[in-house]
Amino acid sequence: MDLALDVRDLGKTFGGVKALDGLSFGIARGEVMGLIGPNGSGKSTTVNTLAGVFPATSGEIRLRGKPVHHLPEYARVQAGLTRTFQTASVFPEFTVREQVLLGAEPARTRRGVWSMLRSGARMEPELRGRLDEILQLTGLADLADTRIEEVSAADQRFLMIATALAADPAVILLDEPAAGMVSHERDRLSHLILALGARGHAVLVIEHHMSLIMKVCDRITVLNFGEKIAEGTPREIRSDQRVVDAYLGEAA
Amino acid sequence: MTLTRKNGLLYLAILAGLIVLPSFISTKYYIHLSVLALIWVIVAQGQNLIQGFTGYVSIAQAGFMGIGAYGTALLGLNFGLPVWLTILSAPLITALFALVAGYPSLRVKGHYFAIVTLAFNMVIFIVLLNLTDLTNGEAGLMGIPKPGAGKDGAINFADRTTYYYFVLIAATGVTALTALIVNSRLGRVLVAIRQNETLVGAAGLAAWKYKLFAFVVSAMFAGFAGALYAHYQSFINPEIFTIAQSMDAVLAVILGGSGTITGPIIGAFAIVFLPEYLRFADSFRLVIYGLILILATIFMPRGIVGLASDALGLLKKRRAR
Ligand SMILES: Nc1ncnc2c1ncn2[C@@H]1O[C@H](COP(=O)(O)OP(=O)(O)OP(=O)(O)O)[C@@H](O)[C@H]1O
Ligand SMILES: [Mg+2]
Repeated sequence: MDLALDVRDLGKTFGGVKALDGLSFGIARGEVMGLIGPNGSGKSTTVNTLAGVFPATSGEIRLRGKPVHHLPEYARVQAGLTRTFQTASVFPEFTVREQVLLGAEPARTRRGVWSMLRSGARMEPELRGRLDEILQLTGLADLADTRIEEVSAADQRFLMIATALAADPAVILLDEPAAGMVSHERDRLSHLILALGARGHAVLVIEHHMSLIMKVCDRITVLNFGEKIAEGTPREIRSDQRVVDAYLGEAA
Repeated sequence: MTLTRKNGLLYLAILAGLIVLPSFISTKYYIHLSVLALIWVIVAQGQNLIQGFTGYVSIAQAGFMGIGAYGTALLGLNFGLPVWLTILSAPLITALFALVAGYPSLRVKGHYFAIVTLAFNMVIFIVLLNLTDLTNGEAGLMGIPKPGAGKDGAINFADRTTYYYFVLIAATGVTALTALIVNSRLGRVLVAIRQNETLVGAAGLAAWKYKLFAFVVSAMFAGFAGALYAHYQSFINPEIFTIAQSMDAVLAVILGGSGTITGPIIGAFAIVFLPEYLRFADSFRLVIYGLILILATIFMPRGIVGLASDALGLLKKRRAR
């Protein structure tokens, strides 16, 4: 099978503490994979290690077949892997469109160093069209020219996804995208995540909201103390006794 | 768009004001101070690029001025190179030093940078003071030539007003270059770094490269300013290039309005002219600076420029009613 993201035997220790231990999984193009587990089980550490915020202690990460675990964070983005953060992370003084444009910057810098001195407001027409489509998709079109500090917390979370999409990634990692959202915002989010899969992105989504996870995921990986304890379809995961004992029992 | 046109008009008005300024000044001493202020505009534009736009406070600009000043002076005095050539090589020499200081300290996020630059400034001062074979130590260097090949040059740079216009051209060029940078795609990245460096990394940009660019350019401006200073005064010694003067650059940006183009211009004139009126308090200089810094941060976080635009906005609102 053609895997967009292929993770093998990933390990991460923080000063003796094993945050991740021998984690392996793969996500195909257009597939939505859930990553669930109790607090502190290593979900965010997985995202940070995959994104290259810090190096993995062991293991391999392949993006569309190419190893990326030796690359720094920005190079992994250029190779096609982007992420969002567990707590909202934005450029408060920018407008929504300006932030999304910055997300598209790595794809543009390859046009040469001197083009970096061109006006910051100007964009290639096809790029403008692509960003408009992303703003539409994430439900931010009406807010495009609003300063981000005036945008609601939920829309800031959608904005993080829009920014991550601007680089046109093969793989997108979403760390608790529904945190702090109310029910109708979560519905909007589920639709978006399903649309991401339909657009051909490989999606990894971390969530504590089980109804959302069960609705949007093709498969789910379950972590406990940094180790994978199960992987399967939502139906399989719901009925897995180890998962119920370690996590679902408390969350449900 | 109207906003940029308004800004353009403002820049032109400031430039026009600076062009006619000497004809309104009868005291030679004030022309002298104005020359210094314009030199400080160049330093402050650089300081603003790294501090105001990128969000990293450098406390080394006076050190870089020193490198530029000694660079141009020594190249001229020791090798007899033409003045124009040594002035233009000053920023290049300074850039090399800035790369060495900036590379390790900008690879990491946060406050190390301010401390590293401060230490760097101290090292420069100590080297200038003790490398007596080259720098003549405390006594400094004298007889640094003016541009324009002495008195027989077409334009007499020994004349203060002439030098004023020379430096005005330089300051205008540097300001225009700064405006070009901050309005470019690159400038957007610098402003993004100031707001949220973590997100810049996640957006696939190597923040440290952009920070290093801003820092090296800021140092080149300071080095250039240092060279202009050296040829203006014909005399330099290490005392002019200490941390206290680097703090002047920090203050110029904060007072004038950080992250704006006009701010550093106003701030530079403020830090050159204010001490003249506060002369009685010379021994309390640092205390007063600290006080101004604190008060400015609390009461005008966007500097004089921010205060002025707030006042203008208020006036407009009233008139609209
Ligand atoms: N930068 C770090 N330095 C040291 N320890 C860390 C670091 N990041 C995470 N850890 C530790 O690694 C373990 C896993 O943390 P992680 O944040 O990945 O959990 P999580 O599954 O995302 O939890 P939550 O559901 O609360 O977000 C925890 O014990 C945490 O304390
Ligand atoms: Mg987490």
